[in-house]
Amino acid sequence: MRYAYYTGCAAKGVCPELHESTLAVAKALGMELVELTASSCCGAGVIGELEHDTQLAMNARNLALAENLGLDMMTVCGTCQGVLSRAHKELSDTATRERINQVIAEAGGIYDGRATPKHLLWVLIQDVGLARLEQKVVRPLTGLKVGPFYGCYILRPSDYLSFDDPYNPKSLEQVIRALGAEPVDYSGRTKCCGFPIVLEQEQNAMRMVGTNLLEAQDNGADCLVTPCPLCHMNLDIYQTRAEKEMRRPIGLPILHLPQLVGLALGLRPSALGLQRNMVDTSPVVAQFA
Amino acid sequence: MHQVSHDVLIIGAGLTGMRAALEIAPGVDVAVLSKVHPVRSHSGAAQGGINAALREDDSWENHAFDTVKGSDYLGDQDAIEIMCREAPSAIRQMEHWGVIFSRADDRRIAQRPFGGAGYPRTCYAADRTGHALLHAMYEQVMRRGMQVYEEWFLTDLVVEDGVCQGVVALDIPTGELILCRAKAVVLATGGYGRVYRTSSNGLVNTGDGMAVAYRAGAPLTDMEFVQFHPTTLKSNGVLITEGSRGEGGVLINAKGERFMTKYAPHAMELASRDVVSRAEQTEINEGRGVDGCVLLDMRHLGREKIMERLPQIRDLAIKFAGTDPVEVPVPVRPGAHYSMGGIRADNDCKSPLEGLFAAGECACISVHGANRLGGNSLLETIVFGRRAGAAVNDFIGGRPMPRPGQHHLTDAAGRIEALLDHPTGERAGALRRELGTVMNRSVGVFRTRDVLAEADRVAARIARRAQRLWVMDKGRTFNTDLMEALEFQNVTALARTIVAGALAREESRGAHFRQDFPRRDDAKWMRHTLAEYTPDGPKLSYGEVRKTKYEPTERSY
Amino acid sequence: MRVEIEIERGCPAEGVETHRERFRVEVPRHVTVLDTLIQIKDDLDGTLTFRRSCRSAICGSCAMRINGRSGLACDTLVESELRRFGHLLIQPLAQMPVTKDLAVQMAPFWRRVRAVKPWVTKDGEEPSWPVERESLMEQHHVEEMDDASRCIMCMACFSACEVATVDERFLGPAALAKAYRFVADPRDSERTERLTALNGSGGYWDCTRCNQCVEACPKDVKPMEAIVNLRRDAIRAGLTDTIGSRHITEFISIVRQEGRLNEGRMPMKMKPNPLELLKVAPLALRMLRKGKLPLPYHPPIPRVREVRRIIDRKKGST
Repeated sequence: MRYAYYTGCAAKGVCPELHESTLAVAKALGMELVELTASSCCGAGVIGELEHDTQLAMNARNLALAENLGLDMMTVCGTCQGVLSRAHKELSDTATRERINQVIAEAGGIYDGRATPKHLLWVLIQDVGLARLEQKVVRPLTGLKVGPFYGCYILRPSDYLSFDDPYNPKSLEQVIRALGAEPVDYSGRTKCCGFPIVLEQEQNAMRMVGTNLLEAQDNGADCLVTPCPLCHMNLDIYQTRAEKEMRRPIGLPILHLPQLVGLALGLRPSALGLQRNMVDTSPVVAQFA
Repeated sequence: MHQVSHDVLIIGAGLTGMRAALEIAPGVDVAVLSKVHPVRSHSGAAQGGINAALREDDSWENHAFDTVKGSDYLGDQDAIEIMCREAPSAIRQMEHWGVIFSRADDRRIAQRPFGGAGYPRTCYAADRTGHALLHAMYEQVMRRGMQVYEEWFLTDLVVEDGVCQGVVALDIPTGELILCRAKAVVLATGGYGRVYRTSSNGLVNTGDGMAVAYRAGAPLTDMEFVQFHPTTLKSNGVLITEGSRGEGGVLINAKGERFMTKYAPHAMELASRDVVSRAEQTEINEGRGVDGCVLLDMRHLGREKIMERLPQIRDLAIKFAGTDPVEVPVPVRPGAHYSMGGIRADNDCKSPLEGLFAAGECACISVHGANRLGGNSLLETIVFGRRAGAAVNDFIGGRPMPRPGQHHLTDAAGRIEALLDHPTGERAGALRRELGTVMNRSVGVFRTRDVLAEADRVAARIARRAQRLWVMDKGRTFNTDLMEALEFQNVTALARTIVAGALAREESRGAHFRQDFPRRDDAKWMRHTLAEYTPDGPKLSYGEVRKTKYEPTERSY
Repeated sequence: MRVEIEIERGCPAEGVETHRERFRVEVPRHVTVLDTLIQIKDDLDGTLTFRRSCRSAICGSCAMRINGRSGLACDTLVESELRRFGHLLIQPLAQMPVTKDLAVQMAPFWRRVRAVKPWVTKDGEEPSWPVERESLMEQHHVEEMDDASRCIMCMACFSACEVATVDERFLGPAALAKAYRFVADPRDSERTERLTALNGSGGYWDCTRCNQCVEACPKDVKPMEAIVNLRRDAIRAGLTDTIGSRHITEFISIVRQEGRLNEGRMPMKMKPNPLELLKVAPLALRMLRKGKLPLPYHPPIPRVREVRRIIDRKKGST
């Protein structure tokens, strides 16, 4: 299992713990990651709002970087995955690919449509396999109730993301169970965290964050796990603001996917950057490490 | 119970009703009343297109001739000429109001070939022309801030001293009965497809306006002429547009033969609808069908063309027939689709009842005669919607607001109370299925005397049983159970007029085909059937067909 | 097949509180949710109330929540719902008060649609009769409006909208997609006015781009994409004095410079007011201590020139 590792921006900036825990987990599972250091931001859909072809070309270049290594691309951010899956689909049209390749020809090479972007979550299920993952668990997270928070872009629009049912996804629950923990069911698991409008309409975003966190907590969650660092930012860094908006204390630790996996694989919490999360993760960590 | 007053009341907010409302002169107090929100009207389900002689090498006279021939010479030719002459302006005005028509290379409104037409004159908006027109029309209604009574159900016409003075309506959301006074009432309530068990029509198409007018003394014309659309889906009667044939789709039987060569060697799949429906039914009856259907084959059109011109019907075929027309032919069969007949009205939409106007599918003027051409129904709505509005403007000048008695309201309330009072009985749903099945079987594409006579008896019995329906919902708020019972009573009244007309008409013309009288008989039967209400059933009489310059000839495609 | 269906019912006006009822029915295999509701109403319980008409996904009457998903009952197959979710739960659309059972009050929806002035506005007078010619239009304009004009106003997207759930002011996906239909119509003379009117609170910048509307829409209107198009057109029309538009342009400028988005720089660029920055100082400090605050200036990625070349290139029609 060798992948061109597309970090995206957050893992190398505001969420270094995501990068750390990804590397640690990859090593533990025998995955070889070749980091695409020359890869750019995926645009996050934001660049695409104004310049559709610019964002598409940037991602054709990113995919070409992986393709030049002869590898598929692995992402660790739900938003990057959503953007790249869509780019991959759009570039499967010959006319589009030709047009975009003309743009990137002198800027990173040509993309032939061979390299496919896959999120770590999908890699765990499809390539590693749940049975093998379960075998590798050293510290089963027994008794830990984990609320999955998928985030929008790894699920929708389902025309581009065909891994999970957008209304009844199962992949995070399957991984949670393989790690020995218990998934918590709540309607917010497929909802939006509000990150795209946290600058424009903070109050609305905080209502969204607060509602989802409280629902998970009221349903028994000890923590949430999310495959998207942008969701992580809103749910974790902004959690105190959400508490103010909802006028209720929350204090729910938010784990990146590889942090949860790494914990069950017996890795040291510091190797997983668990001390960096803004909402204290020690209540979770203390149970198992 | 309460009362409202408007100068003009328009019943029905589909294309015809809204067009009529938009034509009412400024300063006149007009209100539209509809049992569904305007954009839910069945006009929106029309797919294929709307006809007009827009091009310099076409002419309204050609369009009129095609329509007269299509009508199997039962259409009133002066009305047809008016419709075809006004068609180009009517459509261009809709375009001005924002309808998004598909465009040709010269940036003008694109047109495609359609059944029974000698020239490609069917304008279209992909395969959702009705939807495009309906939404643009409602946008104009919103723009003018027009009063629309949404989800008000017509229960009665208010007639006093031989003059229509308004209506009684049931406000479905609140359950209140309202007496609506008006100087003029325009009925634009659409067709009665739900008389039949399988129909392309929406479940709201229960012919309420026709039935209410009929009971109030307005005659219904040509009710036996029911159009069976050749390509409806087997499972639910949902429509697959004629445009699919206009774009080149072909019909094949179980042997893979393009059977239309036998029935209409020149026009083939684009012969007029009655010809195609009978061809299909014959193939099916003679054992060359596939599971009670024939096959509509569009594979040769290619994916791109289907996605561009016929995307909606592809979705329908995939969803409801489980077949993708890009890969596999779609099983289709004739289904009840359009009501050529309706409330008798003249070229200005005036009914014989003073103060009552009727336009659109609920009226019979008659522009379609014994068979309607595809693309002419959408046209009829906007041409006669406009003419009805204009006629109403002329009519109401100087007229006082009528003052009908309150008893209309209390009578209606009493009838509804009586209906609600039955503690048990027959459910409208079950009876509806029973009647619909009889109509499908006995008053369909092919008809014969004995079968019709039996259907006549059955329809009469069911109409009687429908007087004692069991309405389970006794509440006031949003009582659709009550509404469906009232609708079914309308359906039974109309069914009787359809069967009676079919039984009496001993010839074959257009959509009405008698296996025992397979030829058209102009000498005896080139005349309109008129049905008037009596408590014992419809009383039939006959009226002249108006001719201008088209002499009836043998009709072949 | 035998099916158990749970339906949320109630009638506030008659004092019947929201509750759920189960029905067991025998239905054919290829049956839709609507067919099943009709069967229940006809044969089991006539009081069950819902709107419906065309049965072919064009009238928009039968929108409701099916297993939590807003969509049309007439084009949802019972069998596939059971396969996906293991059960069948029917509820009325969200965001709108219930009149009875599955019939909701449509007023909140139509109020928002009206707010975008959904009609073609033209300079000049109505054409006189007879109307001699239509306006000319290129087919590509028709295609540009194709998605938005396909809307049947069923309200499923509005029911699914996450921002509408938390913010009463938001006009919602259907109204904004409809607005785009007119912005993209070459016949409409009020393009700039429309973009300006919807530039503020409740307008197209309030969308959180969650794709719930795109996923819910039964006609593939993709309302969110129409909203994004409005944003694009607004910026190009010079309406750049909003946090939203600055967000996009600053995002591009940071990525152009560093190749990646430096999240540490974004808030500073978005909230140039020093008092605002002071408010976030404690949070920023905590993040700094945990190593989560990127430096305000970060060296660019290797080969950043390639990225700049893409961003800077002379654009054609896109």
